[in-house]
Amino acid sequence: MTELWNVLADHFSEFSTGFWVTVRIVVISFVIAMVVGTLVATMRIAPVKLLNWVGGVFVEVFRNTPLLVLLFISYAGLRRAGLPISAWVAGVGSLGLYTSAYVAEALRSGVFAVGKGQIDASLSLGLDYPRTLRYVILPQAVRTVIPHLGSLTIAMIKNSAIIGVSLLALEDLLHQARLVNSRTFQTDEVFFWAAVGYLILTLLTTLAVRRLEVRYAIHR
Amino acid sequence: MKLNTQWRPLAVLALVMGSLAMSSCGDDDDDDGGSGSGGGDQAAEVKQYPANSTLGKIQDAGEITIGVKYDVPPFGFENPQSGEIEGFDVDMGRYIAEELGVEPKFVEAISDNRIPFLERGTVDLILSTMTINQERDMEIDFSEPYYVAEGRILVPKGSDIKGVDDLAGKRVCTALGSTYEETIREEAPDADLKLVDTYSECLELLQNKAIDAISTDDVILTGMIIQDDTLEMVGDKLTTEPYGVGIKDGDKQMKTFVDGVLASVEEDGRWEDTYQEWVGQYLNKEQAPPEMDLQQALALG
Repeated sequence: MTELWNVLADHFSEFSTGFWVTVRIVVISFVIAMVVGTLVATMRIAPVKLLNWVGGVFVEVFRNTPLLVLLFISYAGLRRAGLPISAWVAGVGSLGLYTSAYVAEALRSGVFAVGKGQIDASLSLGLDYPRTLRYVILPQAVRTVIPHLGSLTIAMIKNSAIIGVSLLALEDLLHQARLVNSRTFQTDEVFFWAAVGYLILTLLTTLAVRRLEVRYAIHR
Repeated sequence: MKLNTQWRPLAVLALVMGSLAMSSCGDDDDDDGGSGSGGGDQAAEVKQYPANSTLGKIQDAGEITIGVKYDVPPFGFENPQSGEIEGFDVDMGRYIAEELGVEPKFVEAISDNRIPFLERGTVDLILSTMTINQERDMEIDFSEPYYVAEGRILVPKGSDIKGVDDLAGKRVCTALGSTYEETIREEAPDADLKLVDTYSECLELLQNKAIDAISTDDVILTGMIIQDDTLEMVGDKLTTEPYGVGIKDGDKQMKTFVDGVLASVEEDGRWEDTYQEWVGQYLNKEQAPPEMDLQQALALG
């Protein structure tokens, strides 16, 4: 038991660096995922064939590629192609876009849950399509899918761990844990604390989602 | 070197098929398995160890599992043509297996997982360019040093990095869990360290200019130069890196045995032959077996 606390005390700065890097990765990726996800969902339900198609291709490409492969292509691949992308941009870009494909699908399913009658009503009241989307469809769609978006965010937090062990080598929580492990060889203790770090983030997310659910969710 | 990267998936496939083939028909460089009772004096010399000892159990199983690098030419790497694992470390492993009269089974051990592998019994021995140091000596036992490498810096030709003093502010790659992590932190505290799992990832990063230099043992860097001749080693030696065979903590029988095999390999000329085959011909130099002993190696740090 004392061993457990000693590992944390002796290597607190490494763990704390890792924790905050993970927080930064997660926050930036979350913003990218939500913004891009909403845009793509909009494209997929827009009354324009070309936009539907582009949105569909985006979702299939990013949802059907393993995250580790995306990371490799976006970093090593683009750099080999002559685009000097940084590990940070490649990392949060890959995680954000990967997650956005799921977000787009979640939102789209939310849109289907909004009655077709409401859309017809809105259009016949003289709102144009973008306004119908902005004021009628999306607010309801988002509320319906809050629990689903919460699960996606938690999955994203856990997926972020791949970035630190990939060749991007960002110093996130798992990367730092492995660093401490390589110096101390106290595998059980080190990964216990890494798990605690991720648990803090995922539990906070769960709490936040629950509050949002209570405030906004629609029960039908 | 481009070719090498492109053929990697095929090499993996070939490796799988190669290892299947190997497990059924044995190896080609010692014939004591194939020719049965007529196998000659090699087989006759093999000493049988008590069944309940570590060595006895290995002899019962008929194979010894050895953790080696798969991506560190010329010490342990997949031959892209044959898919087999080859190199200096691999040959040392074969000599050890030969002495026990068993087949060597090589598994990949990266810097970060090799010590847990040994502790968990996933492997019997580690022969993976592992530097002897006190930190590791607390977790496992080491054989006498079987090779002494030097720490150097690898950069693209024409780089403005000429030595360790130029590394400040530069991105330097080395393997997570290797001794260079600490070395670079001490020698070049202002360098931006990139820690990845394998040296092949470091090479990838250097080739696509995501990093400016790689620091590790000269033999590993030599392997990279063999693959990509636009790279060169610069600066004086950073460190002295005596390699030891990793043995499970406290296994005296195994340590005595491995030390005995290494001593005879160093005495009868096999060491020099192996060195020439894997290292000497690329560095254009001959070398005698290491004179350093384990105590001296540990005293280095």
